[in-house]
Amino acid sequence: MEEVGKNESIRVLLDEGTVIAEGDIDLAGGPLLDAAINRVENNDPLVIDLAAVEFIDSSGLRSLLAASRRAESRGTRVVLRRPSSGVVRLLTITGTTEQFDVEQASQA
Amino acid sequence: MTTVSPPMNPGSTAVSGPITLTLPPVPTMVRVGRLTASSIASLSDMSIDDIDDVKIAVSEMITVLIQSGSRTTITLRFETTASEFAVEASTLTPANDLGRNDLALAIAVLDAVADEHHVASTDDRIMIRIVKRLAPIPAGASSSTRS
Repeated sequence: MEEVGKNESIRVLLDEGTVIAEGDIDLAGGPLLDAAINRVENNDPLVIDLAAVEFIDSSGLRSLLAASRRAESRGTRVVLRRPSSGVVRLLTITGTTEQFDVEQASQA
Repeated sequence: MTTVSPPMNPGSTAVSGPITLTLPPVPTMVRVGRLTASSIASLSDMSIDDIDDVKIAVSEMITVLIQSGSRTTITLRFETTASEFAVEASTLTPANDLGRNDLALAIAVLDAVADEHHVASTDDRIMIRIVKRLAPIPAGASSSTRS
């Protein structure tokens, strides 16, 4: 596992091609998430693990939506793996859930 | 800089006057404003879900002002009454600069998390105000049921 970036808001890791975000995806955290996404931009699908995201706002959502648009242009999708309750809520209230493939935690 | 006025009653957790917070317009301050808002809202006998809404709303407000303002101090003013928790945020900006950013996503979020919100700009200032109404405490219920 490789740490791509870290600041007061967020820690972003790469693990076998999966982007892992921990902490807050806001105006300060978004650019670090963008940098990690750019590293694996050509993955099919592009997987972003959001289980440890404690907070997200619309500036963080913009990072995810931009990744989704770029993925769509390449004929692939962004998978949001195990999104935290805050992520799910923001996707719901902004009506953007359909922009992603959402992969919940395993029921096993 | 943070100022509290007028002073609170000793021994009371209720906020009796407005609280003003000034922040430099940098991205790391979004988190500072959000967590300050959360702390103040928690004194207002709000539910955890409502406090989460306040955190999101304040984050959106500060983000819009950082992105739209002219890199000058952002002022947040928190005020609690018996029926509502209100936050007003403002910063200096050239006229009509509010239109240079796409606010649709932020406004959609404010629609969902605030009971009222209002964005206004004058010749030299942008102001955003949100209100979260406080649910009345049922007769005979402890205030801790909503904490």
